[in-house]
Amino acid sequence: MSVSTDSELEELRAAVRGFLDAKSSEEAVRKAMDSTPRFDPLVWTQLADQLRLPALTIPEEYGGDGFGLVELGVVLEEMGRVLLCAPFFSTVVLGVRTLLACGDHEARARWLPGIAAGRVTATLAAAEDSGSWDAAMVSTRAVPSGEGWTLTGRKSFVVDGTTADLILVVARTTAGPSLFAVDRGAPGLSAEPMDALDATRALARLNLEAVPARLVGGEGLAGRTMSQVLDTASVALGAEQAGGARRCLEASAEYARNRYQFGRPIGSFQAVKHMCADMLVQVELAEATAREAARLADEGGPEFPVAAATAHACCSRAFVFTALENIQVHGGIGFTWEHPAHLYFRRAKSSQLLFGGPAVYHERLLDRLGI
Amino acid sequence: MEQDLQAFTAEVRAFLDRHAAKAPDRTAFTWGEGDDSMAYFSAETPEVERRRVQQARDWQRTRHQNGFGWITGPARYGGRDLTPIHDLLYDAVEAEYDVPDTGTLSVVGLGMIGPTILAHGREHIKDRWLPAMYRGDALACQLFSEPGAGSDLAGLETRAVRDGDGWIVNGQKVWTSVAHHSQIGLLLTRTDPDAPKHRGITAFLVPMDAPGVEVRPLRQMTGGADFNEVFLTDVRIPDDHRLGEVDGGWTVALTTLMNERATVGSEGSGPVAAALSPQRLAALMRATWTWDDRALRARLAELLVDAMATGHLNALASRKLRAGITPGPERSVSKLMYGRNLTRAAHFVADVLGPRAIADTGQWGTYAWSELLLATPALRILGGTEEIMKNILAERVLGLPKEPGVDTRSPFRELRRSGAGQGGTE
Repeated sequence: MSVSTDSELEELRAAVRGFLDAKSSEEAVRKAMDSTPRFDPLVWTQLADQLRLPALTIPEEYGGDGFGLVELGVVLEEMGRVLLCAPFFSTVVLGVRTLLACGDHEARARWLPGIAAGRVTATLAAAEDSGSWDAAMVSTRAVPSGEGWTLTGRKSFVVDGTTADLILVVARTTAGPSLFAVDRGAPGLSAEPMDALDATRALARLNLEAVPARLVGGEGLAGRTMSQVLDTASVALGAEQAGGARRCLEASAEYARNRYQFGRPIGSFQAVKHMCADMLVQVELAEATAREAARLADEGGPEFPVAAATAHACCSRAFVFTALENIQVHGGIGFTWEHPAHLYFRRAKSSQLLFGGPAVYHERLLDRLGI
Repeated sequence: MEQDLQAFTAEVRAFLDRHAAKAPDRTAFTWGEGDDSMAYFSAETPEVERRRVQQARDWQRTRHQNGFGWITGPARYGGRDLTPIHDLLYDAVEAEYDVPDTGTLSVVGLGMIGPTILAHGREHIKDRWLPAMYRGDALACQLFSEPGAGSDLAGLETRAVRDGDGWIVNGQKVWTSVAHHSQIGLLLTRTDPDAPKHRGITAFLVPMDAPGVEVRPLRQMTGGADFNEVFLTDVRIPDDHRLGEVDGGWTVALTTLMNERATVGSEGSGPVAAALSPQRLAALMRATWTWDDRALRARLAELLVDAMATGHLNALASRKLRAGITPGPERSVSKLMYGRNLTRAAHFVADVLGPRAIADTGQWGTYAWSELLLATPALRILGGTEEIMKNILAERVLGLPKEPGVDTRSPFRELRRSGAGQGGTE
């Protein structure tokens, strides 16, 4: 795996920020939120062609650039700052991490080069109506059919589920939860968008009726794969959340410096000042946990699972907190549709709850600590 | 720079390997075994305390003999002429070893007062005291806070009046750590009450054995006495013991306060580190049959998230340090979180213990936590209250404007004050 120096990471950050400043303005985000699909396909193509971001973490043997979670974290912090609407989290985090964790060389060789080139998008369909990402809770069934399998059941909260070319589905065989690959155009598959709190990240429900599928990895191994995927996806999501939280802090500090009431900037009042300081504390902690967890992942440190659970909890809280305080610092204007503050609050709350929310991630942390 | 730091680190390690053992893992423990003390403040007899101060002096002497007595100081006074990064790096490496705690010398005296004397003292003062301090011979204390001047230090009222070639000082200082072991004190006085408060202050170096200096232990809410009150009654100080200009003492005080530093990675040391160890807290829940209480488990998880997040912040700062980057706001954030984390841990444990936190049943590792419970309110106050720390973060990091105040322009004499120096009833 390639490892970047601090200055290389800063170059990467500058390049991604420059690109996103041009392509993901607030206006562009609002436009994408109301479009079908919920992103600009042209921007996705440019993201692949100009910056090779889908290839970033894919090993070189599959046509990628072989970087790790540290570099991915830098990219996601930047994407989180501007609420980029793109199938990046679904494809590069959920899709690629699942393929890398599944232990199936053939599946990797089939799908990763297309993803690296930006031609294929992917996602992971694990949760069902309960919203649990625990593979043991899956009721979608897989039965053998000829040389392959067919899947029957229903999946919910599937990120970019209506647009992903490759859908990795967790379904139950007689051996237990297993992972399958389904093509978007497969017969028996229907996908409909879910009405969602955060319109910048599309969620879908999938109905599967005897959908032909290909087994990925061994039968009954999805539990182990999912556990690894959730660890790395938590850290990746944490970076995105930290980026969003930093942006909320910056917006609040800027407003507090420039908004005058009672003849002085509101940031000179301690009540407001201390809100901003509390936001800064949360942002510093969030960035530290996400970056340290990413480093531990790339170094293969044994503390990684604990660090991942810590980052997930810390970054979730930080983003929800800063998004809410950002509205409060802005006062009435912060509660309007026109102001972007609600877009961050929607993203923050959705990200916090996507993988189960506090009750789940707190127990996951204690579990990783052996408590 | 990075190469130089690596060489320096290697030198520090070689020195420590020769003179000290590696620190034991303080978080590893078995329920019911060993010391269960959770005292943040010392609860020692004066005799034990004197012995500890002697050990601290001896270790400082060893550092000094090996070139680590004053890493950032000039060679002329026994220093090493290296950067603050070397200094912090030394601390980070030393934290891995089991060495005497030198806090009584280093936090205030060597860390803050030494650099102030260097910047503002006359030559004879520097020659007399600096080598002695960094050799471990002389201890120094900071005579700053007063009953009427806490967060607002510039509101101090201890008066110094000209008397020939010297000054006569009257007043009272408070929260003075180490005063009872100190040979010298850095003293701030009011010399011009008609000037705005920052412009009528003068700083002196006062020998603690000067007639009229009386040190009394101040008993804090834990029951112990870790700090002192210092009463100054007609204390005569020669003018050549003045630091900086007459009425220019605020500049001197700023030098001192700028040198107050949060030590990176220090949260991992000391017996209190155990308070935040997941294993220890889990063992306590097992021992009290609260293991599967969902409400307590959620609180435990929240607590551990913050404790580990603070650890990651410190790790990040240490890594920056090794790469030659001076840590930024994460140091203030660490200080805030340190107090918050310990406070939450103490209250979490108290709630787990229930009645066993309010009276001693004799069971190991239970009532002992009450010491931490009583100590934690101090952590939101000492070294700058939480509110002042937040002002600093908001103003210096986020660029928010200062609160407009009348107190910086009016003559000090005209300000409303709530000090003891206003002649209240006895």
